[in-house]
Amino acid sequence: MASNAVAGRAVGTRLVDPATRRAALNKLLIYAVLIFGAVVSVLPFLYTVSVSLMNLTEATGGRALPTTPQWSNYVEAWHDAQFSLYFMNSVKITLISVGGALVFCALAAYAFAQMEFPGKSFLFTLLLSTLMLPEAITWVPNFITVSWLGRISPVPWLNNWPSLTIPFMASAFGIFLLRQFFQQIPRELWDSAQIDGSGHLRYLLRVVLPLSSAAVMTLVLFGFVGAWNALAWPILVTTTPDWRPISYGLLSFLDEAGALLHLQMAGAIITMLPIVVLYFFTQRHFIEGIATTGLKG
Amino acid sequence: MLLAYSFLAPAFIIIGLFGLFPLAFAAYESTLRGLNKIVGSYDGLGNYVKAIDNLIYILTFWIAAALVYYAARTIARAIREHREEQTDALRWILPGFLTATGVALFARFVFILLPEMLLIPSKLRGQANTQEAFRSLVVETWWLPKVQIALWVAVVLLAAGSAWGLHVNRKTARDSREPVYFMPFFSAGIGLIGGAALLWLTWQEINAAYAEALEEGAGLEIWSQIVTISAGFLLLLVAWRLWESAGQRSSNTGMALRLVGAVAMMAGAWVLIAELPRVVNAGDEDWWNGLMATVFYVMGTVPIQLGLALILAALLFQKIRGQTLFRVLYFLPYVAPFVGTAAVFRIIFSNRPTAPLNGLLDLFGAEPLLWLSEPAGIIEMITGGRFDLGPILSGPSLALVAIMLYGIWTYVGFDTVIFLAGLGAIPNELYEVADIDGAGGWAQFRHVTLPLLSPTIYFLSLYAVIGTFKAFNHIFVLRQAAALGTTDTASIVIFQAFKRDTRYGYASALAILLLIIIMVITLVNNRIASRRVFYG
Amino acid sequence: MNSKRMWMLATLLVAALVLAACPAPAAQAPAAMEEEAAAEEAMDTGLCAPASEGPLAGIDPRGQTIVWWHQHSGSREEKLSVIVEDFNANNECGIVLDAQNQGGYNDIRDKVNASTASGEQPASLLVGYQNDQAFYQLNGVLADFDTFIDDSTWGLSADEKADYFASFVEQGVHPVFDGQRLGFPPNRSMEVLYYNLTWLEELGFDGPPTTPEEFEAMSCAAAEANGDGTGGYILRDDASATASWTFARGGNVLNEDNTGYVYNSQATIDSLTMLKRMLDDGCAYFFTEGYPNPEFAARRAVFTTGSSSGLPFYANDMVTIAEEQGRDMDVWGVTAIPHTTENPVQNIYGADVMITAGAPEQELAAWLFIKWFTSPEVQARWVEASNYFPTRAATEAHLSGYVDENPQYGEALALLGYGAYEPQLISYQAVRDAAETAFNEIMQGADIQATLDALTETANELQEELMGEVE
Repeated sequence: MASNAVAGRAVGTRLVDPATRRAALNKLLIYAVLIFGAVVSVLPFLYTVSVSLMNLTEATGGRALPTTPQWSNYVEAWHDAQFSLYFMNSVKITLISVGGALVFCALAAYAFAQMEFPGKSFLFTLLLSTLMLPEAITWVPNFITVSWLGRISPVPWLNNWPSLTIPFMASAFGIFLLRQFFQQIPRELWDSAQIDGSGHLRYLLRVVLPLSSAAVMTLVLFGFVGAWNALAWPILVTTTPDWRPISYGLLSFLDEAGALLHLQMAGAIITMLPIVVLYFFTQRHFIEGIATTGLKG
Repeated sequence: MLLAYSFLAPAFIIIGLFGLFPLAFAAYESTLRGLNKIVGSYDGLGNYVKAIDNLIYILTFWIAAALVYYAARTIARAIREHREEQTDALRWILPGFLTATGVALFARFVFILLPEMLLIPSKLRGQANTQEAFRSLVVETWWLPKVQIALWVAVVLLAAGSAWGLHVNRKTARDSREPVYFMPFFSAGIGLIGGAALLWLTWQEINAAYAEALEEGAGLEIWSQIVTISAGFLLLLVAWRLWESAGQRSSNTGMALRLVGAVAMMAGAWVLIAELPRVVNAGDEDWWNGLMATVFYVMGTVPIQLGLALILAALLFQKIRGQTLFRVLYFLPYVAPFVGTAAVFRIIFSNRPTAPLNGLLDLFGAEPLLWLSEPAGIIEMITGGRFDLGPILSGPSLALVAIMLYGIWTYVGFDTVIFLAGLGAIPNELYEVADIDGAGGWAQFRHVTLPLLSPTIYFLSLYAVIGTFKAFNHIFVLRQAAALGTTDTASIVIFQAFKRDTRYGYASALAILLLIIIMVITLVNNRIASRRVFYG
Repeated sequence: MNSKRMWMLATLLVAALVLAACPAPAAQAPAAMEEEAAAEEAMDTGLCAPASEGPLAGIDPRGQTIVWWHQHSGSREEKLSVIVEDFNANNECGIVLDAQNQGGYNDIRDKVNASTASGEQPASLLVGYQNDQAFYQLNGVLADFDTFIDDSTWGLSADEKADYFASFVEQGVHPVFDGQRLGFPPNRSMEVLYYNLTWLEELGFDGPPTTPEEFEAMSCAAAEANGDGTGGYILRDDASATASWTFARGGNVLNEDNTGYVYNSQATIDSLTMLKRMLDDGCAYFFTEGYPNPEFAARRAVFTTGSSSGLPFYANDMVTIAEEQGRDMDVWGVTAIPHTTENPVQNIYGADVMITAGAPEQELAAWLFIKWFTSPEVQARWVEASNYFPTRAATEAHLSGYVDENPQYGEALALLGYGAYEPQLISYQAVRDAAETAFNEIMQGADIQATLDALTETANELQEELMGEVE
């Protein structure tokens, strides 16, 4: 990486002036770009936060900042949107679907990346083609599927966790993403793993997954965001509050809050906080490149 | 091999139920008409004709031709290898074709079973809606003679095909250098059957259309249009090939070839310009406008989104202070619920003279703009409306551009995270080696990072193109009536047909057309990428 | 990620699955209640016994549990649940109503259509607009209200029938489906003009406008006072607004035999000509960032038009903003859309309730709830909870206290007798979108006559196209 090289050279040749100057200049440029980008991407978001702390006059008056932050907006939004009622539902739904997606996508991606079997490219094309249908078209057939599965299985699907989680336990996106990363793992590792007598499953768990931790974390993260923010499908398959997710609370609250922009914003920010926290903790996995040497099956 | 299938099984069961079934459902629905009916009356290609008029016949004809061509090429290659390399390819013909026929018959079985199954809800409506009633209806439908016959014919052929294949395989297994030719003949068989079926359907439909027109005493120009438009495209194709091959020839022949190519191109373009607009005008105007808006949206968002994300990811991968903070900041737009951010963008891009962006324009002494309420194309606006540019050259409306900016703003964070993961998968040692070789920052990026990141780039570009082609939420929440429909992309048109009008058949036909477009682009993308993607 | 962590994840997943598989206790509650109710029933057989004659003979509604899918959320939902609890505790048939919010109107519609497609039984009671009724009935999902209304045991008396506002109940009758009555009005709303009286008086006017000319003059005066492009009337591109202005000039958007659209009548042309002139003169402006009530409350608009169901929100915003700005609240009110006709003609709209076809006992029980819910006493309670308009004239007698407290509501209530309604044709949802686009085209400078001619043509084509798909 650019700065790795620059930093490495700078350490070795501390006394050479032009190199350090170039390094400093490089750094400055990097910071300038990053800060500019950060401002652009955060400004609309900061405005959301700002509005969420305003009173009604300020929120509708085109002000940039509140005079006194109205923290009570958050309390009001939390109560009115009944978030406490739906919060645990969302946690459960998200855990089940992300956990399932991780297992099933990893298995399938491994088969596509590291194994040979007839019909591989055909099946992969089939997989990709499922991504190409607009979502609006899929709701009715998928509703039929979950409704019928619920009537022939011992567990009801509608108004229950299966309809909210099982359809998301395998996605073409996740399989495709993981396959791309699994494919980059050198074949020699598999050869040496075989010599050690390890089978595919063991190799997947011990070598492939640890080496692809960044991709796995990405999948977890996006699975989480998808499940957490899902709206149209959960509303369609639930009729009672028992399994309704937090996004339903937000929606019905937005309906009620109507013109009250400040409360809307407060509600929106509350729902996204858990994801930000999760990302904060997973992003460590993206920091450094991996060391493939010295790994054994 | 068995292990591979068992690894795939759980994911494919779920994807089969919630990904492939909707596909089959849409394909089936697209041949029906009827409001709010999942089992309407059969209408052949009627929905497609309504959407794109006679172009559908040309489309099905060419898809069929492509399938047959693909099959012929695959068979020809196997035969050539059979002859030149003394392989025993030909004995795979029968098992391959048999299995292909079995699969085709199985598809037929699905489309025989599906309508019968979908009729169950309407049968249930008269009686007590209990689980038992439902189950007995399912069982009853399953045991219908025509369903059973279709099923067993398919199963028998499939079993015969694969048994034969296994038998051949066992005979050849001893000679390990002999490649297995099952898949080529299998896919060739699928191509031939699919192509033939499609041709037959097209033929039927065209004849029916002529018969109907004859009854009404009107003339039709389907055949003439098929011939002229196909000829136009063929000429363009020929021109392109000539142009490409000209580069490899000596200057004189090359010159001549280019000349011929240019003539062919002009002729082809002339035919198309003369003929295409007539067909387009006869189709669904909203649909064509939607496709145009979609193309604008894809071209305006994907390159910018990916370029920005790549730069940001490369920079964020450096060892710099505040790395964590930056990463979190860039990710925020993607995780924020779009109901919240859409409200903010509605304010930013408001048409009020005092709105944030208009205030900024005012600072520079510029006139306020209508932003989300502006239906005029941006190129038209830049040129001050002096030229009559027509709908395509006017470019996307300012309203659509504002929505694109919103889309880019949201998805840069998504792309950046995936790029970061890709960077994270590059082994450190490679950089160390490059360091020792004295490669500078740019050289490292060019020769180490980019090639090793290519699987990620390939993944993201494919995913972004597919995603933007069917982009919906961002557009739907920001569209305003004042933009006069210039922001309605294909997915919006499909949504309205499906949800608002409950025209399931028509909406499904539109969705299938969109799917064909995305698939063609994906295939082209794959061809380009296959030369450039590098897996460790 | 090492295998230990993988195992942890797997265990977590299993734990979550187990957790999830435990049946939710709430699901069993209604069944238990039903049993109790049935037990009670056994003791007093006299009440609510099945009719011995007529089409509903022998159908026993007692002890039924029925589900109602509605769109009321937040405080309205809470107040509704109090009324429903009262019904559940006190109705003599032991019927238990389970009122469930299902999101917005479109969500309910999606649910009903998906349920129909999959063979699930939708709720016994649904909320939805009149054109939804037509869509549902294509699959025979709904029951005919007339069966119940005309029944000698369970139905309404002649006096009761006459008490419902005729224009409200007419809307649910569908000539396309043999004149079946597929919807019944639980409440209504009305397109009204909101005005800021204090401000009007400051500007030298002595009251709200009654004619379009007065309305235009007042808007321009207020806009001039603000001087920044705001101040006048907030334009509304919604199709209901266009219909309302047309009604107020004695026109209609439906043709005479109720089978197609007429958007190019003189009334519509005159209305849009006036609005376009007001926009050009700066007396009206677009506000596209959300609902207009805060704008109105902050004195950036002297007039808005909109549904009367917005009344509580306007009232709330007027108080809040006056408080926040430390001034006395402006006196405001609602009145009829400025009209050229002698009496006002008001656009009255609102969703109906529908009964889904199912077990006869369920249907009857659902009707008994609706009958109770539209009785004057209950309507009065519902009005106070929701600010909607009642559907029976006799309700007014129970509302005097409420009207005293909410003078604006009283002003609108007085207009109930002047109702007109929008088309209930199957294509109306699509036509509404086309009408909105046409409105915007005109405001952006397109020729009014030509645009409205084109809209009329498009609208009728849409109707024809959709009817062409009906079989």
